[in-house]
Amino acid sequence: MLETLGLMGAGFINALTPINLLMMAGGVAMGIIIGCMPGLSAAMGVALMLPLTFTMKAETGLIVLGAIYCGAIFGGSISAILIHTPGTPASAATAIEGYQMTLRGKAGKALFTACYASFWGGLLSCISLYFFAPLLAQLTLKFRSAEYFWLSIFGLTIIAGVSGKSIVKGLISGAFGLLLSTIGLDPVTGAKRVMFGQAYFAEGINTTCALIGLFSMSQVFILAEKKITARAQATKFTDKMSLTRDERKLIRPTIVRSWLIGNIIGILPGAGAAIACFLGYNTSKQFSKHKEMFGKGSIEGVAGSEAANNAVTGGSLIPTLTLGIPGESVTAVLMGGLVIQGLAPGPELFGKYAPMTYTFFAGFVLVQFFMLGIGLLGCRGFAQISRLSDAILIPCVTVLCCVGSYAIHKNILDIVVMMTFGVIGYLMRKFDLNTAAVVLALILGPIGEKGLRNALKSSGGNPAILFSSVVCWVLIGLCIVGILSPIFMAKLEAKAEKEAVAGTEEDVEKLTEEDSV
Amino acid sequence: MKMRKTDLGVVAFMYLVCAYFYSQTITFKADSQTYPKFTIILLFALTTLYLLQMVVAAKKHGVESGVKEVFKDFQPAQFFVCLLGAILYVVLMHFFGFYISTVIFMAAVLLYLRVPALYTVIAIVAIVALVYFAFGKFLGVRLPVGTVIKALR
Repeated sequence: MLETLGLMGAGFINALTPINLLMMAGGVAMGIIIGCMPGLSAAMGVALMLPLTFTMKAETGLIVLGAIYCGAIFGGSISAILIHTPGTPASAATAIEGYQMTLRGKAGKALFTACYASFWGGLLSCISLYFFAPLLAQLTLKFRSAEYFWLSIFGLTIIAGVSGKSIVKGLISGAFGLLLSTIGLDPVTGAKRVMFGQAYFAEGINTTCALIGLFSMSQVFILAEKKITARAQATKFTDKMSLTRDERKLIRPTIVRSWLIGNIIGILPGAGAAIACFLGYNTSKQFSKHKEMFGKGSIEGVAGSEAANNAVTGGSLIPTLTLGIPGESVTAVLMGGLVIQGLAPGPELFGKYAPMTYTFFAGFVLVQFFMLGIGLLGCRGFAQISRLSDAILIPCVTVLCCVGSYAIHKNILDIVVMMTFGVIGYLMRKFDLNTAAVVLALILGPIGEKGLRNALKSSGGNPAILFSSVVCWVLIGLCIVGILSPIFMAKLEAKAEKEAVAGTEEDVEKLTEEDSV
Repeated sequence: MKMRKTDLGVVAFMYLVCAYFYSQTITFKADSQTYPKFTIILLFALTTLYLLQMVVAAKKHGVESGVKEVFKDFQPAQFFVCLLGAILYVVLMHFFGFYISTVIFMAAVLLYLRVPALYTVIAIVAIVALVYFAFGKFLGVRLPVGTVIKALR
């Protein structure tokens, strides 16, 4: 206990170095900019900025990525409130009440509420990160080769069904990624396998290039295929960005409820901020003493949605850092960043690398304060950036993707690989396949292969070893749950969204009637 | 939900991938074949399962092309100009280095997308400056100089 407290304290001291603080501020600002631009996603932002963290210390690099993640989730609310277009799916529910507040000349109040609720949602989520992550990591100490094999399969089944419409297509994406992970030298014997006659592929497919291609370059192609139209002008607001004491008191219970919802949703692999924001919004409506305000611009609605989606950030890091199972695309990219730094999720992060991990955790706490400060001070400026045309974004993001890929090994072939994955990613998205599953498979593939082959080796080739322990059976059970969970999650999301929209439509109708009277 | 003909392309592609990897895998040493074979079987089985789902959907709900849904609002000229532009950019970078090729690529794409001249200049200057300071100075990355520029020096 004392040791953990010591590590926590040391983490804060390390996180408070000038370079870390500078990186937090830069990461949050970058994240908010990416988040507030409709068309750019948090995963894309984190993937694009990944190469910038290579030369940094592991903890600093992770802090930057965490800052971009948190900033992007909050940033989505700016365009949701001011132009009624959520910057990211995580802010879809915020747009309902936030835009109504803007129409009533209370945009400043809506933005303050979003920022304030995001801050508390994110900050409170760090509590579970501090307490649950080390406990869960201890569990993996019982894992042997066979368990690691099943863990890799579990990770894939979880992410496979997250974003696509078809679970089988998600699983196909994962299996396709696993096959791609076999490219390069055999990780056990060192024998040459599929290398297309190029020594370049000896180390396999460069995960970072694949990440940038699948998440960022493919987004460029998505933007390029649509007719470019001018974005709606962000509403210029003149009201004060603040809340009265009573208003803060009013949203306090909403924030606590949404934190719990967001945190649980974040820990559950397969769910994400997009689901959490609707659940947070609906719950705030259910418990509100001012239900009549919903649909007319309720600060409780904005707080409920924003606290929930930011509470997901800390929660989703728990399975990512402990089991290596990211619940959504952003954490899959974050895990890529961790692996690239030479670190593996699991007990080592809380043993050998504990100082680094606790510095990252402390940085994650401090990032929330930066988000509050930068969010409040820069809202007006960010609102203007959110209008940036896709025509400008297309070549700019292309250049950044190319430079980012090149910076890894200073090899032009990396750009070619990134571009190829950009095209693959674009086609996958068009045909409802899951790009996050491919990325995760590229990371988990070698772990699964080593697990499978070492287990078979130790049993003299008898596959029964894969079913020989209780942990194996638990993981097999979780794989089945993993396959079935997307069906449940999709229903949950659809129900929450339907309730939110239906309720709002009723309220708007009432409002129109009142206005006409 | 109706069966989409476009999904047949996904199925065909996955079968082709399986066939290619299988043809390569059988040339590996026995020990190295285990895991690739496992993943090939997995991909093959899942693709076949999806094909069966498609057949059931076709029988129950009928068949639709899917092209309209997949490529809704698709702007072919704009898309292919951007795609070819990106490919040419990489080729240009190999010959003329990062900075020259970036200016040419960005100017060409921005002008094609009808971005006003002033914004074009601002965007190019901002990106070149960002890359110079973030990658060139901060990370110390030596960006491609280009074979032609190297030869001229």
